[in-house]
Amino acid sequence: MRKFHQRFKPWLIKYLALPSDVILELPRITIIGQLHVYIENHQGLEKYSDSELKLKTNKGYIEIIGSSFVLKMMLPEEILLEGTIQEVKFTPDQ
Amino acid sequence: MRDTQGSYFTGYVTILIKGDRPELFFQKCMDKGITVWNVRKLADDQCEGNIKLYDIKQIKELRRGTNYKINFTKRKGYPFLFRRFIRKKQVLIGLLLSLLLIIFLSNIIWEVKISGVPKDIEEKISKQLDSYGIHPGSWIFSLDSPNAIQQKLVEDVPELLWVGVEQKGTTFFLEGVEKIIVKEEEIKGPRNLIATKKGIIKKMYVSKGLPKVEVNDYVKLGDVLVSGIINGSEEEDETDKKAKKLELVAAEGEITATTWYEVTVTVPLKGVHEELTGNQEKKYYLRFGEFRLPVWGFNSPEYDHIHREINEENLKLFNWNLPVKIGESILSEKSTTEMNRSKEEAVQVGISQAKSELKLQLGPKAQIISEKVLQETTDNGKVKLNLYINVEEDIAEAQPINQGD
Repeated sequence: MRKFHQRFKPWLIKYLALPSDVILELPRITIIGQLHVYIENHQGLEKYSDSELKLKTNKGYIEIIGSSFVLKMMLPEEILLEGTIQEVKFTPDQ
Repeated sequence: MRDTQGSYFTGYVTILIKGDRPELFFQKCMDKGITVWNVRKLADDQCEGNIKLYDIKQIKELRRGTNYKINFTKRKGYPFLFRRFIRKKQVLIGLLLSLLLIIFLSNIIWEVKISGVPKDIEEKISKQLDSYGIHPGSWIFSLDSPNAIQQKLVEDVPELLWVGVEQKGTTFFLEGVEKIIVKEEEIKGPRNLIATKKGIIKKMYVSKGLPKVEVNDYVKLGDVLVSGIINGSEEEDETDKKAKKLELVAAEGEITATTWYEVTVTVPLKGVHEELTGNQEKKYYLRFGEFRLPVWGFNSPEYDHIHREINEENLKLFNWNLPVKIGESILSEKSTTEMNRSKEEAVQVGISQAKSELKLQLGPKAQIISEKVLQETTDNGKVKLNLYINVEEDIAEAQPINQGD
């Protein structure tokens, strides 16, 4: 059953053109230049400092590296990060 | 961003979290649905962020059981500003006083403008207005309504045909129309003078026309006193129309005759008479709905009988009525006297009463010569008088002669 589920979802995305972030419960990341990163659908803050932001997601972590980070807004499952962004990294679950 | 908009009005605080991995505290806030913004990591164990004022309670609850320390570093927004303002008593008092001043000043007449009439009448009007208490500097609520002022002015200034009184805020606008007094020349057609009442002629003064009666003649209602037909009488006129050309004039003259009236009056022997002794006390108060706040005059006078008079006026701010009324109550001492008249006194009162009533009826030119009590009965404590009054008055009235062609 679970397997079927996992196959069915990509099929939905492919044939019914449904947005993948909703169906697969993946984070949606919007980056505006080097200035802003807007992350929706994350599962919680893991680590935050002046130069690093690590967020938990469904399958692993998102790591954003840069400098002078400020979290402009924190809402449940939404984060707006401001600063100078240098890297966005996906690291799998350990 | 929409969540943080308007937070200035509801107020927000900047909190500084100290502890191990302070950003996780904000994570907890997020899970609870508390909006946090402008989160900054200051050091490894310090993190600051903004939260809304009404979320503070929840934050404090969240903190319980953890080993984070919270410091409130900045307070911003309207509620804090307001609180700071409230704390400054002088400013508050100043504001209150200025508000009172505005109310005070907007209840004062600043200007009286008179237009539409020449200077001399303007002067008269303003003098009259002064006597009503309408002049720059007087209270608006102590005045009558514009309509009443209008009426009074027209009555008191005979030169005015019409005056429009309008109150616009603190200014009185008066627009007058002058009465152009033109004595209308009466176009007198040929006419006779006839008697309006029966009576005995006492005096005759005929300036135009042919007298038909003499002094001491008894005339009835409708009798011709002075004829406007000078040449020949009316009878001749009919028989001998063409022979004589009639000369018609407007008869003029004054015919005074003695007339008599029978008047019945009743005078009670007992009477209760109320009069104000002149002692009075004024009290002033402000009224908010049903509540009265005395302003002046606190103790009640010790009068036995009190006549109360209450005048209330609305306070106004520009064009709005404030829910405050300023009122004046005048307590006047009243004394009641019971009168017991003897029969003779009652008769005297009755006669003078009848005379003055008759005078009022007949006008100022009539003169009462004599009066006689015809009948006098007393019952139920009342004296009933039947009076016979002799009057001298002008009984002539003009009647146009119908020329008939």
